[in-house]
Amino acid sequence: MTPATPVPAEWPARFGDELYRFALSRVSDSEVAEELVQETFLSALASLVTFRADASERTWLFVILRRKIIDHYRRQTRAPHVGLDALHDGGATEADYFNPANGHWTGPQAPASWLRADAALEQQELHEILRLCQERLPPQQGAVFAMRFVEELSAEEICQELGLTASNYWVIVHRAKLQLRRCLEKHGMGKN
Amino acid sequence: MLRLINCQHATLLIEQRQDPVMPQRERASLWLHLHLCPYCKRYSRQSILITEWAWASAAGRVQAGPGLSAAAKERMREQLVAAG
Repeated sequence: MTPATPVPAEWPARFGDELYRFALSRVSDSEVAEELVQETFLSALASLVTFRADASERTWLFVILRRKIIDHYRRQTRAPHVGLDALHDGGATEADYFNPANGHWTGPQAPASWLRADAALEQQELHEILRLCQERLPPQQGAVFAMRFVEELSAEEICQELGLTASNYWVIVHRAKLQLRRCLEKHGMGKN
Repeated sequence: MLRLINCQHATLLIEQRQDPVMPQRERASLWLHLHLCPYCKRYSRQSILITEWAWASAAGRVQAGPGLSAAAKERMREQLVAAG
């Protein structure tokens, strides 16, 4: 039974575990995940007046947590080690994948077949490798990739959140994908 | 008018293809390139796989894993009581 009026002191016991698991599925650091849950509770408490009794308390807290996670991605792209120039974040550039002379795949970089990818790796193992590869992306690419493909925000929303132009956004998505697939291959994809 | 494009351009268009505002001419150029280039055709499939796995991997972690420690719950409870 959901009480008619939220009792904030009960939130950690009632919703703490699932909010924390959700946060931990987005950020790999348990301390950061804990902070996000804590911020969620405090924000919810501060905006208790906006809570409508006909809504689900749990859904409302998740909406706040999602917002906190997006803020976290935004902070990640503003970290001091990220250069001011949106497209020079220390990651590989197109020249590392394509022949600068003609723009076609260069020999060893050409995509190998992943025909038996699903069979070669256990799903659990595959997910772990992908997570590792995501963590190795330069901060900005990692944030854009997660916002687009995990949080499923639109390109427009991401550009607004991160202050990117549309063309910068596409370059970042493109580079993130190139780097992820190369990282996956390094970790055993396509090597049958 | 179909334009021949290179792999670098094609792989960028593969990402942009999900965007409804992609011009018809670029769609046609990409379609042609994918017909001629087995590597980019492969890349196109793998690009979709990567996004599916990323989503599934995050969804899977929501279902499993440790919960919030008892100490953290108590600390947050005290905070909420103090701030409330």
